[in-house]
Amino acid sequence: MPPELVERQGGSGTDDSAKALAGLDALDTPTVNRVPWWRRASRSVLPPVVALVLIVVVWQIVWASAITPEYKLPSPAAVWDEFLGIVADGSIWSILWTSISRAIFGFAIALVIATPLGLLVAKVPVVRSAIGPLLSGLQSLPSVAWVPAAVLWFGLTDATIYFVVLLGSVPSIATGLVAGIDQIPPILPRVGRVLGARGLASARHVLLPAALPGYLAGCKQGWAFSWRSLMAAEIIAAGPALGVGLGAYLKNGSDFNDIAAVFSAVLLILVVGIGIELLVFRPLERRVLRARGLAGV
Amino acid sequence: MRRVTTSTTTSSGSEIEQARRDRTAHTAVELSGVGKTFGTGTGAVTALRGIDLRVAHGEFLCLLGASGCGKSTLLNLLAGLEEPTTGTVSVTAARPSFMFQEAALMPWLTAARNVELPLQLAGQGRGARRERARELLELVRLDGVGDKRPHELSGGMRQRVSLARALAAATSTEGDAPGLLLMDEPFAALDAITRDVLQGELLRVWEATGTTVVFVTHDVREAVRLAQRVVLLSSRPGTVVREWSVDEHGPELHEEITGRLRQVITSHAA
Repeated sequence: MPPELVERQGGSGTDDSAKALAGLDALDTPTVNRVPWWRRASRSVLPPVVALVLIVVVWQIVWASAITPEYKLPSPAAVWDEFLGIVADGSIWSILWTSISRAIFGFAIALVIATPLGLLVAKVPVVRSAIGPLLSGLQSLPSVAWVPAAVLWFGLTDATIYFVVLLGSVPSIATGLVAGIDQIPPILPRVGRVLGARGLASARHVLLPAALPGYLAGCKQGWAFSWRSLMAAEIIAAGPALGVGLGAYLKNGSDFNDIAAVFSAVLLILVVGIGIELLVFRPLERRVLRARGLAGV
Repeated sequence: MRRVTTSTTTSSGSEIEQARRDRTAHTAVELSGVGKTFGTGTGAVTALRGIDLRVAHGEFLCLLGASGCGKSTLLNLLAGLEEPTTGTVSVTAARPSFMFQEAALMPWLTAARNVELPLQLAGQGRGARRERARELLELVRLDGVGDKRPHELSGGMRQRVSLARALAAATSTEGDAPGLLLMDEPFAALDAITRDVLQGELLRVWEATGTTVVFVTHDVREAVRLAQRVVLLSSRPGTVVREWSVDEHGPELHEEITGRLRQVITSHAA
């Protein structure tokens, strides 16, 4: 198939050129310094552990000095006992499950709603000018503000809780996806078009993977918002139909003047929030960024 | 307004001339009276005017011009990304593929998967496209780096992956029409040594594959080294000033083209 073309280079030239190329490649390839895992672990695990220990020590000292009365500040040991108590009677599992299952289910619905919404806002100018400002506005509105209205509309049911969770997380996820798409270097969709990507194929092979880091950041924030909104909703909207989640457990502790239970609830809410972040979002984000050469190794 | 293209063949006495015509009888690209104007009214900008250009199958053509000569517009017309305002563009080669100044690899895909992407978009099966990507990476002397991500490669290596991907795109559709490579200053962002080596590599790959190449540059030396034919474009609007066949001219060609390019540029001094 190749037509006979004018001879421009001698046969020996190609061999030299291959060697020159190999030399250039060897010299120019970026070097990657891999940090051993134990050093990485000691760098990322040790500081927060030390900080935690310090906080507990200070807490113990403040409690032992008896500056504040016992009903305002419990001892670390009392909170620990309270925690062991709910573990022992098994109620911790139902409390955690009630809240976490709601959060996960709510977050999943939020994803289903926010992803097409974000795509629409990013790609359709009319939609963007119509609801773009609304989306960012909703992000700054604390979703707790919706609880009173939701209680009036839906009563003390799960619908109220999900409504509040969705209003908290959908704007974040959608905004994250919009930002992710906006930050795609324009050359990539152009290359995609030249390579034959049109319409849906372009979205699947170019737009969505290119927007993934921003989308993931939006999801992470969306999760934080939905967890926060869920706790707010559970604390305010407590009723027999709603079961006892972490929020209700906190509210009960407060109602019974049981400061140890309040502390243990707050700590559990914190632990679940951080846990999901560390176990789900951090590794996911790390993987996505590392594949693109965007995160430190 | 669209003109109908009529192909004209002028007969020539010399046998060598005839042989050349035979080899280039199959036209890959033909532009006749092509003009492109952006916008309307007083704000209209004419990027190209009255361009007549013929590129044969397997030919290496350099478009040379200063800024504003509409070379990117011309490539976009050839790639079918834009429509001409006047005249006709006919491309008989397989789907044209593009190479840009930046490698523009998809940062989330490995080198091999980047080369596979146009084949995947054309609906080829996994096995076939893996094999093809391996072949093409070998052709640009990058065997063994298929699993690396773009950020793990040097600039020159990335540009070669981009070349392999462009070749994959140019040959992704079935059929015996050889591919058409449109190159928009692909080596402009590289350092001098890498550029020099890659120019040699491009020639080698071109000879090995028989693709048609339309190469845009503003570097006279690069144009003379690479092309069989150099076409000088004027700026604002872009028109064909002159063209040279590199084989027929001696080493003085470089000076001559540089002189004409300078004239074109000076004519724009206020």
